[in-house]
Amino acid sequence: MDTSQLLKGVLDLAVLAVLRDADGYGYDVLRRLRAAGLEDVADASVYGTLRRLFAAGALTSYVQPSEEGPHRKYYGLNKTGLDLLQQSTKTWNHFADTMSVLLTKEAA
Amino acid sequence: MNSTLTGTVAMYLAQVRAELSDLPPGELEDVLDDVSGHLTEVAGEFDSEPSVAALQDRLGTPRQYADELRTAAGYPPRAQRVADREAGRKSLLWGMIAATVGPFFVAVGIFAWGYGTTAFLGALGLGILFVAGFLGVRALKGNDPRIVLDTPYGERGAAAIRDLISQIPPNIRRELVAIGQPVWWVARGAIGGGGFFAIFGAGAVTVVGAVAGAAVSIWIGRKTQQNQRWLWYVVPLNVVAVVAIPAFLAAAYLGASFNFLAGNDRDYSGPSYGAENGLFLNGTAINNIYPFDAQGKQVEVRLYDENGNPIDLPTQDCAASFGADEPTTSNVFPQAVTKPDENGDITAQNCQETDKAPFVPPLAAPTAKPSGNSPTTPAPGSPGPKTPTPGVTLTVEPTR
Repeated sequence: MDTSQLLKGVLDLAVLAVLRDADGYGYDVLRRLRAAGLEDVADASVYGTLRRLFAAGALTSYVQPSEEGPHRKYYGLNKTGLDLLQQSTKTWNHFADTMSVLLTKEAA
Repeated sequence: MNSTLTGTVAMYLAQVRAELSDLPPGELEDVLDDVSGHLTEVAGEFDSEPSVAALQDRLGTPRQYADELRTAAGYPPRAQRVADREAGRKSLLWGMIAATVGPFFVAVGIFAWGYGTTAFLGALGLGILFVAGFLGVRALKGNDPRIVLDTPYGERGAAAIRDLISQIPPNIRRELVAIGQPVWWVARGAIGGGGFFAIFGAGAVTVVGAVAGAAVSIWIGRKTQQNQRWLWYVVPLNVVAVVAIPAFLAAAYLGASFNFLAGNDRDYSGPSYGAENGLFLNGTAINNIYPFDAQGKQVEVRLYDENGNPIDLPTQDCAASFGADEPTTSNVFPQAVTKPDENGDITAQNCQETDKAPFVPPLAAPTAKPSGNSPTTPAPGSPGPKTPTPGVTLTVEPTR
């Protein structure tokens, strides 16, 4: 199965989860997602997701100069983002459990 | 890493920009800021400047990149946006014109003589403002208010303002925003809410409206900070507020608004207490009538005008002062009025009334009679000759 299809539904959750640990700029978020094992994630969709979450009021954004060159736009979770993360985590856990039970039964 | 992109990477960015050019300018700049950061990092992954093919291999074509971004960000598809934007621009233009003309009428209304003119011009101005608000919201359906910046005038204006702002040191700029923003929220809300009610209501309503307006305005302001989509509604409202606030302040400064509000008070204080309603003699209000007959004896009468309409006044007895919810009127005179008790107080428990005149009617001065003929002929219609009561003298008209 193509994981990129699965990713579409849960990219919001993945991005929120990555930002829970620390604020990050786009490329950093991308790197962290890949490091966590989501290699198939598309670069542009991560940037798009960040914009949408920001527009929806779930993220804060600020600019910080970087040592290596141009400034970087950091994104971070705010209260709304944290709430959204918790709520989405619950939904995901419920969904994953349901799927696991279903698949285990099929296999048996 | 370079702060400005060069070569193939810059070209890639330009192509992505073209693909996203239908986005509202503010959002476009913000997202391209991200994209250019991304491309800078991606360029850093290569040892030397990447070829077009290498770049497309890594990121997809600029169109694919833009489409991916668009889908993930929840932006509408391209074609629809362009059409919306054209309609939006026209609406916005007319909305801005209406938003400028509306407050002008309101301001003229405030300065106008006479309550009727004020109400008419005020209502007209508010009507135009309403149209402005409608057009503004319509214009922004699916658009960012910052599309104004996309016009040549808007661009030049924005550049000029940006220049001005960059002259202010950043720390002072932050302070100004921190202090100025809440002040602005309260001001636009209070003047918006208060001004609206000032057109229709009395002073007390205006105060309540101003407080409510300020509260709503702060709420909207905080909402906008969290969610930029509120800008769609806040920007046109701000434009209206920016035009209306100087008008209201000027009116208040010149004291015109005071007269304006007083005019409203008059209209709302009930039918019989105001300056234009009630019974008047040479501009002085008449609160009671004490009729006396020809003998100087106080009598009770019912009064009517030439059309048979009762000439009535609000009752002033104990029931009216302490009991009745609704003011009652009566055309029976004299009306009973409350009277102080032995302690000089008027209380609900021990209320006393009187309909006795609080004065002794003056003696009618005898008219000088130029002709000696029939000096005591009574006026026509009088019931025969009278025996003058002590203390009262009849007025006698000479008959010719």
